[in-house]
Amino acid sequence: MRRIDALRGTTPPKPHDARAIAALAANPGCARRALMDGAGVDKDAAARHLGFPAPFGQSPFAITRGNQFESLVKADGCAELLRMLRELLELPVAEVAYHDVENVGAHLRHTHTRALLDRAARGEQDAGTLYDHPLLTLEIAGHTAYLEPDVVTFQLGGRFHIVEIKSFAVVDGQADPAAVAAAARQAAVYVHALRLMLAGLGHDPGVVADEVVLVCPENFANRPVATLVDVRRQLAVLRRQLARMTSLDRLLGGLPEELTFDLMPGEDGLPGRPAADLADALRRVEARYAPDCLSTCDLCFFCRDEARQEGASDLLGREVRDALGGVAGVEEALGLADGTRSPADGQEEIARVLRTAELLRQDCLA
Amino acid sequence: MSDRLDALESRIAELRAGVRRAVRARDGAAARSLRADLRAAEHAWDSLVTAPSEDRPRRRAAGVVTVRERVHQALDVLGAPAQPRLVVAVSEAFFAGGLRSAQLTSIRRDEERSFRAAPYGRPYYLCAALTDRLSPARGLLAQSGWPLERRMVGPLSPRVDFLTCARAVAARVAGAAEPSQEALRLLARMGRNIPGGELVELGRDVDPARVAELAAAELAVHAERDTLHRAELARRAREQLDDPARLFGATNLSTVGKKGITA
Repeated sequence: MRRIDALRGTTPPKPHDARAIAALAANPGCARRALMDGAGVDKDAAARHLGFPAPFGQSPFAITRGNQFESLVKADGCAELLRMLRELLELPVAEVAYHDVENVGAHLRHTHTRALLDRAARGEQDAGTLYDHPLLTLEIAGHTAYLEPDVVTFQLGGRFHIVEIKSFAVVDGQADPAAVAAAARQAAVYVHALRLMLAGLGHDPGVVADEVVLVCPENFANRPVATLVDVRRQLAVLRRQLARMTSLDRLLGGLPEELTFDLMPGEDGLPGRPAADLADALRRVEARYAPDCLSTCDLCFFCRDEARQEGASDLLGREVRDALGGVAGVEEALGLADGTRSPADGQEEIARVLRTAELLRQDCLA
Repeated sequence: MSDRLDALESRIAELRAGVRRAVRARDGAAARSLRADLRAAEHAWDSLVTAPSEDRPRRRAAGVVTVRERVHQALDVLGAPAQPRLVVAVSEAFFAGGLRSAQLTSIRRDEERSFRAAPYGRPYYLCAALTDRLSPARGLLAQSGWPLERRMVGPLSPRVDFLTCARAVAARVAGAAEPSQEALRLLARMGRNIPGGELVELGRDVDPARVAELAAAELAVHAERDTLHRAELARRAREQLDDPARLFGATNLSTVGKKGITA
């Protein structure tokens, strides 16, 4: 058994979806998350067992709304989508060929996708413009994750664009920045997977555009509107994080041999391992908590609780943590600020800044 | 009906005069009660004027016609394979309506069962459009009466079918003496997605002739290649499929494996 599988224990690995892979890229510094995802541990089950159930998960209403909007955009041979692509990418009128990859049974879809996109990249005639629900794959630490972008388009003149259909509204040209960032991260995963597939087929991966087409409802109506979103930054983060996951061995090397995150489920499927024991195992691996974890990671409440107990500066957000580099925790920072603690070697600079800040604060309060 | 309207109008005039007198006499109670009567009369007048005339039996037929007949009617208008969403919209626009997409999810399966039990026992069947693998296309409804070519889905066919449907809807709207709101909205929605029709506004008057013209212009771009694809697919379907499969699609994997992707 590989070391990484031993971490997961007896349960089968949890498959990754685009959302999970995108969330990886949201916090690249977290070793706990990298290891658990690399091993395919069911983090949600672990968090619930520890008594820190995650606050999120997609609501069924949101899913229904998303599906409804997607079917509206794709209705009648992607009529709405074609209009938007013609406006946005100046797609020629003759380019309308549509392949519904979902017409093929689930077990054949990936091969079918490869065959179709291979033909498109080779520039064969009638290769198609729109591919509905293709199935891409991505290797994550030795396991294959299956990814399903909403639509991939291929324009004559040679570039693939990922189309991501989301049901959050764009009001007056403005959308919720967090939602757009999440959509961009997710689309970056697709771009990356598509590039890998094309490279594997011997094509230039550069034919996949850095820009993805984001389709959202406009204002308060249901009318879809498309915008181009540049995902180069998200792609860079994702690549770095995935490269790190393949080098998990380095992370594993520093861990004790017997460490495992196994829930040891009994016959009834309920976890049989004492929660405290599991918590101890998790604490052996360093986490890097940041407030944004609350919207992306199942273990967020556990890590936040840990960070609170330690009085870590992580709680205050990444900017504060980075500004307090070299200072271990909130208590130490406060000590340096009011002068009750003398700065250690290399802390003189930050201590001076903290003391000035404290003086300013006293002035304001006085 | 016009007699009743006349009577109501004279009563409204009377009541208005009464309200004016009461207000001038500063008799608040009388004015209030007269105003209430006036509102009631005006309301009755409104509903009489806007009530549909009896020669348009719009909602009445809904209970009698079965779901499959209603789908058949709608497909007859469209003249091309369509998604349940569009079938429902057309039925709503030109017929009694009352269809729900949910009712259409199992209709193909029911029809297939009936066909297999008693082949050609019904004058028509609601059947599947066939993909380039000769398997049933996801979520499209078609009619057994159509030539096989029309039920084939090549890569360009979804667009061609959409344009064909748009043209048919435009023709139907143009032919109607007084097209319903639903019909105009449907036409506007379709027209907007055809190049040149970007300026069609929802809720404004749509010119059916213009939509038909635009649709025909784009159809001309795709028609030739699409007809070739369809003819080839139809030839293969005739060679390889038996009767039920020709109507409802091949589910057998061996036919898929042998031929691979060709379109």
